[in-house]
Amino acid sequence: MSIIKVEKLSKTFKVKLKEKGLKGSLKSIFKPRYKTINAVKNISFEVEKGEIIAFIGPNGAGKSTTIKMLTGILYPNSGNIKVLDIDPKTERKKLAYQIGTVFGQKEQLWTHLTPYDNFKFFGAIYDIPESRVEKKIEEFKELFELEEFINTPVRNLSLGQRIRCEIVASLIHEPKVLFLDEPTIGLDPVVKENIRTLIKIMNKEYKTTIFLTSHDIGDIEKLCKRVIIINNGKIVLDDSMENLKYHYLNKKIVEAKMKEKVNLDDEDGITILKDKGYNLKIEVDITKKSVSDAIKLLNPDNIIDINISNTPLEDIISNIYKEEKK
Amino acid sequence: MLMEVKNQFKITLLSVKYALVREMLNKTTFITNILFMILNNASFIIQWIVLYSLKDNIGGYTFNQVLLLWGIAASTYGFSHFFFKNAYYLSDTINNGKLDSFLVQPKNVLLSAITNSVETSAIGDFIYGYIMLFIFGFSIKNFILFTFFTICGGFILTSISVILSSLSFWFNKSDIIVDTGNSLMTSLATYPDGIFKGIVKILIYTLIPAGIVNYIPVEIMTEFNINLFLIVIIFTITLISLAFLIFYKGLKRYSSSNLMVARI
Repeated sequence: MSIIKVEKLSKTFKVKLKEKGLKGSLKSIFKPRYKTINAVKNISFEVEKGEIIAFIGPNGAGKSTTIKMLTGILYPNSGNIKVLDIDPKTERKKLAYQIGTVFGQKEQLWTHLTPYDNFKFFGAIYDIPESRVEKKIEEFKELFELEEFINTPVRNLSLGQRIRCEIVASLIHEPKVLFLDEPTIGLDPVVKENIRTLIKIMNKEYKTTIFLTSHDIGDIEKLCKRVIIINNGKIVLDDSMENLKYHYLNKKIVEAKMKEKVNLDDEDGITILKDKGYNLKIEVDITKKSVSDAIKLLNPDNIIDINISNTPLEDIISNIYKEEKK
Repeated sequence: MLMEVKNQFKITLLSVKYALVREMLNKTTFITNILFMILNNASFIIQWIVLYSLKDNIGGYTFNQVLLLWGIAASTYGFSHFFFKNAYYLSDTINNGKLDSFLVQPKNVLLSAITNSVETSAIGDFIYGYIMLFIFGFSIKNFILFTFFTICGGFILTSISVILSSLSFWFNKSDIIVDTGNSLMTSLATYPDGIFKGIVKILIYTLIPAGIVNYIPVEIMTEFNINLFLIVIIFTITLISLAFLIFYKGLKRYSSSNLMVARI
């Protein structure tokens, strides 16, 4: 069953153009010129119940605009959206009871209140009876390890603790879909891992569908089974993580420590990435040459140590971004 | 529907309560803010004492009526700025895309956005208003009428600010219009009605309705008039409806932003 259904969605923004200097400012008063920016162009996709989906793209690709249309913050110019069979455009309030949102860059909590008071406030916003909110807080306190700081004002929390509370606050009303817009922005690796665990627990325990945007490849790799890549307002890839890796991982990185120097300059299917005499790093295009052939060229007897790895996902994704640019 | 209104009311009060708690974190600043506002307002009365020592009647008002006028002006300002402080910063909220967090909540966006913080010094204005009422002449009837006009006037001031701020959905830099409109409402509120003639007189009962917020209440409290009373009620309801209508109309044009924002 599709939880999110998007059909031919578009959004344009009108931006006033201004020539430089005072003269330009005066001119723009009497003769304003506008530029239309197509932030999202005719995109369509569906998200199934219980999925953790990564919605990624470079800055200005249209990710946030799309997420804002899905949550009812922005009005689309054309197209249809159904989230849990609700149209965010016409039934914003009804939808709000069913979804949760966390914007990593925007804070929703009252900073002078403790997480506990904040959770109670959010409970009231969603019209949840106080006894149920208390029960929910108890449950989350244990599940997400909030005990240590649940009674400390939010302004005194670390960024990681704060983001954790932001996510928990958005779960008080047990949303069926959670929209996370860069939830791990600015966090250290340990805290990022904590947040990812939290997201996994939510998905597993509460069967929450998760719609995630992030620039952090680790988030995407560790959490999502499906990726939608958006660039210049258009969807350029909508595939499973497995397929993405399978199709784009036709290159292997071979790093070898050699006894003697080897010359691979004119070999077809091999690109030399680094050649420091006895230390060699090459990229093997397995559509042209198998890894074993490449190793044969190096001469196995000549190898002291070898490491074969995949192209990092980060490189794959930036290549997709770049291809689109071309 | 009734339940929805009740829940909305509960959230609005809770929001105001938490915003007040925030202001009270620093007790000294909190109390001095209130006291200095009362003193600040009191200082304006001195010029009227001097004027009334020379003349008994200025612009059709006795000294007592001027006190009442100041009382109503202060309490309506206090009521509006205390409960709806963010109505006066709404154009900034719209321009900088700060409505996002309210739009994802299942509550009225406008009310959530404007009740998100309180102005401490407005408590001083509010208290000052009631001190003036006591000096004017306390009675249960006067107290009820004064409170009623404070609420109506507060709603009118807030609505005007919301309407002007909502222009931000259409034009950039409408904050200048908002500031001008709001300051006109306060600066035209504290002079005897009789000194205004011609166009200004028409304006204060229409576009800049300082007359409806301040002068009609003084007139009703001096001598009750049902017609004038109804005008205040109808005007208040109309303006509130208009504020909601224009804000929600504009909201469709809201363009959000990706600025880093914290709720502090």
